[in-house]
Amino acid sequence: MNNDKESIFLPPEAILIYKIISEKKELEINELENISKLSRGKIEYNLPFLQKHDLLDRKERINKYCSLTKEGEEAEKNQLIERRIYNLIKEKKKVSFAQLGDFIKVDKKELNAGVGLLRKLDAIIIEKGEISIKLPEKDINIELQQHLSKIKKEKVSYSDKVSPLVKRGLVNIIEEKQSFLIIKVPYSKIKSRIKELIEVGRLSSNMLRDGSWRKTQLKAYNLKGQPPTYFVGRKQPYARFIDTVKQKLVALGFQEMRGPIVELEFWNFDALFQAQDHPAREWSDVYRVSNPKHGNLPKEEYVTNVQQAHENGYNTGSKGWRYKWDPKKSSRLVLRAQGTSVSARTLVDLKIPSKYFSISRCYRPDTVDATHLSEFNQVEGIVVDPSITFRDLLGILETFALDVAGAEECTFKPDYYPFTEPSVELSVVDPNLGRIEFGGAGIFRPEVTKPFGIDAPVIAWGLGIDRLFMVKYGITDIRELFSHKMEWLRSTKMV
Amino acid sequence: MVTIKASYTKMLKTLGKNLSIEELDRLLSFAKSEIDEYVEEEDMLVIDVKTSNRPDLWIPEGMIREIKGIWGEEKGIPKLELKESDYKVIVDPKLSKSRPFIACAIAKNVTLTDYNIKQLMQLSEKIDHSYGRRRKRSSIGMYNLSMIKSPIQYKVIDKNHKFIPLGYTEPQDLETILETHEKGKEFGYIVKSYGHYPILLSADGLTLSMPPIINSNDVGRVTEETTDMLIEVTGTHLCTVHVVLNILCQTLADLGAELYNVTIEYPKEILDKTIVTPTIEYEEIEINLKEINKYLGTKLKPKKVEEVLNKRRFDVKKIDKDMITVLIPPYRTDILHWVDIAEEIAIGLDYNKMGPTKWKVLTTGGLLPETESENIVRDILVGTGAIEVITNTLTDPDILTIKVNIEEDNFVKISNPVSKNYSVIRNSIFPNLINILSKNTHETYPQVIFEVGEIVKLDKGRTWTQTNAAYMLADTETSFEDAHKVLDQMMRLLETNYNLIETEHPSFIRGRSAEIEIEGKICGIIGEVNPEVLEKNQIWMPTVGFEIELPLIPSLECKKKYTY
Repeated sequence: MNNDKESIFLPPEAILIYKIISEKKELEINELENISKLSRGKIEYNLPFLQKHDLLDRKERINKYCSLTKEGEEAEKNQLIERRIYNLIKEKKKVSFAQLGDFIKVDKKELNAGVGLLRKLDAIIIEKGEISIKLPEKDINIELQQHLSKIKKEKVSYSDKVSPLVKRGLVNIIEEKQSFLIIKVPYSKIKSRIKELIEVGRLSSNMLRDGSWRKTQLKAYNLKGQPPTYFVGRKQPYARFIDTVKQKLVALGFQEMRGPIVELEFWNFDALFQAQDHPAREWSDVYRVSNPKHGNLPKEEYVTNVQQAHENGYNTGSKGWRYKWDPKKSSRLVLRAQGTSVSARTLVDLKIPSKYFSISRCYRPDTVDATHLSEFNQVEGIVVDPSITFRDLLGILETFALDVAGAEECTFKPDYYPFTEPSVELSVVDPNLGRIEFGGAGIFRPEVTKPFGIDAPVIAWGLGIDRLFMVKYGITDIRELFSHKMEWLRSTKMV
Repeated sequence: MVTIKASYTKMLKTLGKNLSIEELDRLLSFAKSEIDEYVEEEDMLVIDVKTSNRPDLWIPEGMIREIKGIWGEEKGIPKLELKESDYKVIVDPKLSKSRPFIACAIAKNVTLTDYNIKQLMQLSEKIDHSYGRRRKRSSIGMYNLSMIKSPIQYKVIDKNHKFIPLGYTEPQDLETILETHEKGKEFGYIVKSYGHYPILLSADGLTLSMPPIINSNDVGRVTEETTDMLIEVTGTHLCTVHVVLNILCQTLADLGAELYNVTIEYPKEILDKTIVTPTIEYEEIEINLKEINKYLGTKLKPKKVEEVLNKRRFDVKKIDKDMITVLIPPYRTDILHWVDIAEEIAIGLDYNKMGPTKWKVLTTGGLLPETESENIVRDILVGTGAIEVITNTLTDPDILTIKVNIEEDNFVKISNPVSKNYSVIRNSIFPNLINILSKNTHETYPQVIFEVGEIVKLDKGRTWTQTNAAYMLADTETSFEDAHKVLDQMMRLLETNYNLIETEHPSFIRGRSAEIEIEGKICGIIGEVNPEVLEKNQIWMPTVGFEIELPLIPSLECKKKYTY
């Protein structure tokens, strides 16, 4: 109690409890239950109000209670054995020792003990096998008998008086932990400061402003009920996954790059040394734009160099594809069919050394089903440095396998891309999901790099994150990546 | 990628080893191939050959050639024995502008089982389709030699010439074949582009085929009874024609055939010389070991390089210090540059045994400023409790027009769509969001969604890609200000002043929609969605929203990406 003048707000039931304890000075909680007629739950709820104001103390103690054993129950019902023998002899005046068992049907041992007790009390005389009364007026061990009755009827604390009964195995001691309350400040002393708290359902701003919250008690809720459904604002699960991949690539020192969705065939194919009659350039493999059909080719110098690379290998020492290259075909507009077109654009004014990545939407004329989308994301990039080697490329792929895919192991296989040599496929072994083809890479052919004035080896790589996302999230239908289902968008797990 | 079918047990028999599917798959990786599927009850392997530049691998014999090299069972270029024959082909000068080149060979004592015939047909089809560019550049024909008399005429013939095409019983003229035969319909356009009809005739006038369309039903039918064959490749590109014949000859040799050459007599209009085919010549390429070692990150000695190249079925002709002269197998068409040899060496060493190295040059990573800007907008909108969605950029034109009451179709269209559902590139995002709402009317409301994504704009024949942000809210009671307050707070956080200019937009309600203007430029739309639009989309809740072009918000760093 920090301030002696301040009011103390207590719920009405706490006040009742306070009054009772003040009167009794000290009270066990179960006694309080009896007196107050409050349930144990309500008492427990209210006591902290009193304790908070330091009005009472709560302590624990161990109470010893008596309870009758099976033998005790019998002695209570039929009287203690010594009393039975005494009463019998009093009635018959004289009973022979041998006859005793005929009248009182108990164990011989108990009979003997009873007789022994009476002798000890000097209440009987035994002469020549005959027992007779010595003290006729005495009510033998009446207190003990009364104790038994009392124990039978009510809860009796253990005291020395009942110890003979315990010793005789008629009574057991039961230990019970009991909380009891001790008054610290009697009610009468601060009566004027005690105010009643009002119970309310909701805490309001006004109650906080005018301090009336002190006079109020918020009703306890049922905390086990179901709350109303609630949907948090959140990022799309796949978008979030892409963010994470970007983060990892940035951490590995890669700079982001981007390109347009509508792309010139020049960047999508020609710059990547894909011959103009290559099957991958046919209408069945790439979406063509109908309005406009063509775009403008880049700087003349690059166009001429690329043309020569195709026709005769340019200055690379390559044989080239040996056909007549057509600039008109190269200026056709398509939807970006491979993310490598973004890398191709980056070859212009390329910084050396450098590392780049892009996550770009790519398009292929596939019939949309559970394993094909008309558009998908490709993660692509390049690494350039005069010192870089094919074994370094394998090292970079290994880093992707361990750091991006979180795999434990990876393997390499020969692969084919028109624009890289050597080309390699990366597969990873995921601890839970087994082997997954995770990426491809290679060193750009000189026919790709030299037309842009680059002499250093350029590593080109790509990762299949769509599949990685699907296996990690247990998605079997690729259309889910662009899902329309509100349920999925709202409730897909985030971990 | 080329997919072929082959018998598992027959491959094992040729390899002479009992291998599990996994073991075989591992070995096939050296032939840039992998097993896609194994149909046990049919004993059939579906094999994907990843390279479109190695037609020699599109038959099990080609792959086995590679595997035996890797095993060290066979070394270097396989020896091909060629015998002389009296057969001769005379080429018509009129073919000089259409399909001038032909190469032939004779294979005798071939054991043609049904399986082998199927494999050879599969190989021919795949080569014609892919490497032969759908028969335009080259096409293959195989004939029963016993019915053919030399000299063979490769000539132009009148359209009324008749023969029985494969699979038919009655003779048909060439024009009819182009119009009615299955292959004529598929490849007829090639012949039509020539303006005349090429034909192959035996000396006695019997028709072999009309290249590149169809063989005749008698001479041009190869069966299990056939022991001696004529193989022919016609085309527009001399090297292609020769190399395709080389691939077939090597394959037939591997199948146990005796090979004979054929003399091709060209007129001066085409080549003015006589060529004996197949032209088994080993092309040379010189490599510099220093360059190779630097490229691969290896320290190989010349002897090791020779050993590895032999495993890859190449021969080494000469080693002069660091300069190594390599001979290329005549069935390989893909060696253009020394980097191609570098790859052969790496494959021969086995990528998995080369040992990855750590490249230690430091570079600074980073996201593009436009990505950072987009992320700011996404964070703001997620903070309003909206759910992010990703929708297709390639979409249905109806979603962008009829479904949102818009008439103009000022968006990029695809000339070869697979389906109308994916046939145009969106020029705004909000129609996609309305489409999403229309598919979720059974879910709890409010539904609040947004997308920050790319769109493509089209203006005066120029296209560019840019990022827009769109937001939509549907609920039992919602109105203009529910969208306005979100936009307003977003603009405050982006330190951007904007005005709303009342507008008439067919997707929104008049008097309850406005254009968003920043620094005098219209950069978006906001409003209550027109009930007509809601009705069309079966959305039975009032819906409000906005869309804004991020490149027009000066405090952000989003840029338009022009195609050119």
